[in-house]
Amino acid sequence: MAKTVMIVDDSASLRQVVGIALRGAGYEVIEGCDGKDALSKLNGQKVHLVISDVNMPNMDGITFVKNLKQIPAYKFTPVIMLTTESQEGKKQEGQAAGARAWVVKPFQPAQMLAAVSKLVMP
Amino acid sequence: MELDQALQTFIVESRELLEAMEESLLGLESSPDDHDAINAIFRAAHTIKGSGGLFGLDGIVAFTHVVENVLDRVRSGEVPINGDLIALLLSCRDYIGMLVDQIAADSAAQPDKETEATGIMLLNQLRTYQAGEKKQSPISATAQSQPRMAVVPPPDGTVESDHWHISLRFGHDVLRNGMDPLAFIRYLDNMGKIIHVVTLPDAMPLAPDMDPESCYLGFEIDFHGDGVDKTTIEGVFEFVRDDCTLRILPPHSRIEEYTRLINELPEDKIHLGELLVNSGSLTRKELDEALHLQQILRAEYSQEAAPKLGDILVEQRVVQPELVDAALGKQKLAKENKAQESKLIRIQADKLDQLINLVGEMVIAGAATSLLAQRTCDPALHEATSTLSRLVEEIRDSALQLRMVQIGETFNRFNRVVRDVSKDLGKDIGLSICGAETELDKSVVEKIGDPLMHLVRNSMDHGIEKAEVRRQRGKPAKGTVHLNAYHESGSIVVEVGDDGGGLNREKIFAKALEKGLITASQNLSDVEVYGLIFEAWFSTAEQVTNLSGRGVGMDVVRRNIEALRGTVEIDSREGIGTTVKIRLPLTLAIIDGFLMGVGSASYVVPLDMVMECIELDEAERRESRESNYINLRGTVLPFIRLRDHFRERSKVSRRENIVVVQYAGQKAGLVVDELMGEFQTVIKPLGKLFGNLKGISGSTILGSGEVALILDVPALIQRAASRDAQLLACSQAEQIVA
Repeated sequence: MAKTVMIVDDSASLRQVVGIALRGAGYEVIEGCDGKDALSKLNGQKVHLVISDVNMPNMDGITFVKNLKQIPAYKFTPVIMLTTESQEGKKQEGQAAGARAWVVKPFQPAQMLAAVSKLVMP
Repeated sequence: MELDQALQTFIVESRELLEAMEESLLGLESSPDDHDAINAIFRAAHTIKGSGGLFGLDGIVAFTHVVENVLDRVRSGEVPINGDLIALLLSCRDYIGMLVDQIAADSAAQPDKETEATGIMLLNQLRTYQAGEKKQSPISATAQSQPRMAVVPPPDGTVESDHWHISLRFGHDVLRNGMDPLAFIRYLDNMGKIIHVVTLPDAMPLAPDMDPESCYLGFEIDFHGDGVDKTTIEGVFEFVRDDCTLRILPPHSRIEEYTRLINELPEDKIHLGELLVNSGSLTRKELDEALHLQQILRAEYSQEAAPKLGDILVEQRVVQPELVDAALGKQKLAKENKAQESKLIRIQADKLDQLINLVGEMVIAGAATSLLAQRTCDPALHEATSTLSRLVEEIRDSALQLRMVQIGETFNRFNRVVRDVSKDLGKDIGLSICGAETELDKSVVEKIGDPLMHLVRNSMDHGIEKAEVRRQRGKPAKGTVHLNAYHESGSIVVEVGDDGGGLNREKIFAKALEKGLITASQNLSDVEVYGLIFEAWFSTAEQVTNLSGRGVGMDVVRRNIEALRGTVEIDSREGIGTTVKIRLPLTLAIIDGFLMGVGSASYVVPLDMVMECIELDEAERRESRESNYINLRGTVLPFIRLRDHFRERSKVSRRENIVVVQYAGQKAGLVVDELMGEFQTVIKPLGKLFGNLKGISGSTILGSGEVALILDVPALIQRAASRDAQLLACSQAEQIVA
């Protein structure tokens, strides 16, 4: 059974490209355009990995991960956060929220794929 | 194409974002404190940059990165928002819009010159707001993170008994953090081949104590990967690095390679850890951990009892002991080199000169004190002054030693010269060096370089024959130039020799005649004839090469050497080779002299040149009054009466002595009244007025304050020998007449 990955980012094009890369590798992908949207879309659905941007409107990435980890079904779900070099402080906040993996923006699709497959095999 | 669609989405999205950005910027003009607006602008730039990177739109990424940075500073309040900044940001917005439009028209298009110029101008303006910019550009950040992420090509399936060994102990929280240990191991398998995995459940507690959400497992993995390095393997566990203990031990076959790498590293790295990290056998993270551990251990034990870094690394099983040994060896070498460097102090030459001058004055003052002490006949004072003068002597030697350098460095420069010149000449010539450790005064070493260069080139050009000629003469095809240096009776001899054709006596003689340097009737020894080549404009080479043969040079060589109070002579045997001997004084400032008295005057000769002193008894005095030579144990010893030579008019003393001196293989006697023994001589140059005085090379001051002349022994020997020859010629002529 294919593993499901959720990508949460306010950029539709980023979601699209990551989606193409992950689907090509055999993952199923669901998208969320911000934290709020992602939480409502998940709604108890099984996901194996969540990729989330930090900076988003409505609900930012850190708050989103904090909320996500409160839901028992997603307690053990690995999270990859997307950061920029200038967000060292955010990294600590993210770690406190429960995220362990980081990918620095901007990245190439292959880099994202490598990071994902370290955590979840398709 | 799906990706094309995605790009279209990007373009539409970017335009929307840019419009929102414009709106917010305009809004800021009326209400500059609107935080939501500032956030929206920042997010727009941030999103465009992030998405642009995915499509590899480096132009947009690089530009937006700077905009984002400035906006970040605005957001944090470091940069106040004002009309100028809003205007600039609006231009930037337009510029990004232009870049997006270009991509919309043709996704592969590069911005034209005009667009580029606008971009650069805007970037320059932005920079003024961007004080704390990090050095890393987004591009380099990408490049840096790439190797970590790079997917390693799958192995070709070859099986080897030699494997990486990876020890993994996961932390209890790893599952709670959403990390699946198995996923990493599977990923590792993608990079190569996992040969063997041992799961270690040892940490598992009894069932009642076990927390199903905790991870208790450890793994020992044998892994084979082609072209995989330690950093790559560590990169696999990047996301759990903080939650697990990881030990990666390279395969044994790698040890050799790492050892080689360690040895090839530049020697300036002196830290063991740095050496290992640079060779790739240790990762930065492993080093940091080991150093941290060492810190803790140091706090526990005393400073000395704490284990060494190498031991910690081996104990932690991150490197093999062999590699630590190799790195330690290298470290020792580097340390030694550093120690050698630190042994040397650079000081200004004139400071040394001043010191030596002062030492000279001290020697004179010391001599005066000794003299006074002797006169007072106070044994205690006498004792004290003799200790003092011994110390002064040692200080003198040490001070002079400071100026001494080995000639080896000067000699070694010729390796390159010989190599290059032999290539130019098309001859096969090697260089052999002897006596490189011979020391001489720094100022002499500096000045001897040019004459040596000339002599070496001469030897190579004129001395050593072409290979075919050499073979005909039964010599090895490869010619050799010798450089040699050694000490000989108070002077240093530097030899430049070759195993070439030697000088042609007849040719030189004929040439000298032609130039009018000599007359046909002159009876010259070999050395004298060879010496003619040092005359100006003298060249016997039929062809002038670009190296030598123009007849300038050899006379310059002689002049340079004479300026150093040295002499030069040539020894040559036709068909076998030529050796040029340069004889130079050992030091130029203070010497051990031998003091002697004639009448009321005192004279000094360098002690190194004194062979022996003999008393001239009454019989010999009478016998030698006319002849000026004596029979010294069966050999003829010509001598000079200093009394006559310097026209000393005082009463002839009852006893006379002969001081036998030697220079350059020749001996002569100096007849003096009194022998006063060894004397530390500070050489004071004679004034210009006495510059041309023959037989005197300088003066010195005695303890009593009197002046003593230093005799120029080579000149005196020359004189004695030539007068000897003249006398011989005269007596022969008399015989013929008779």
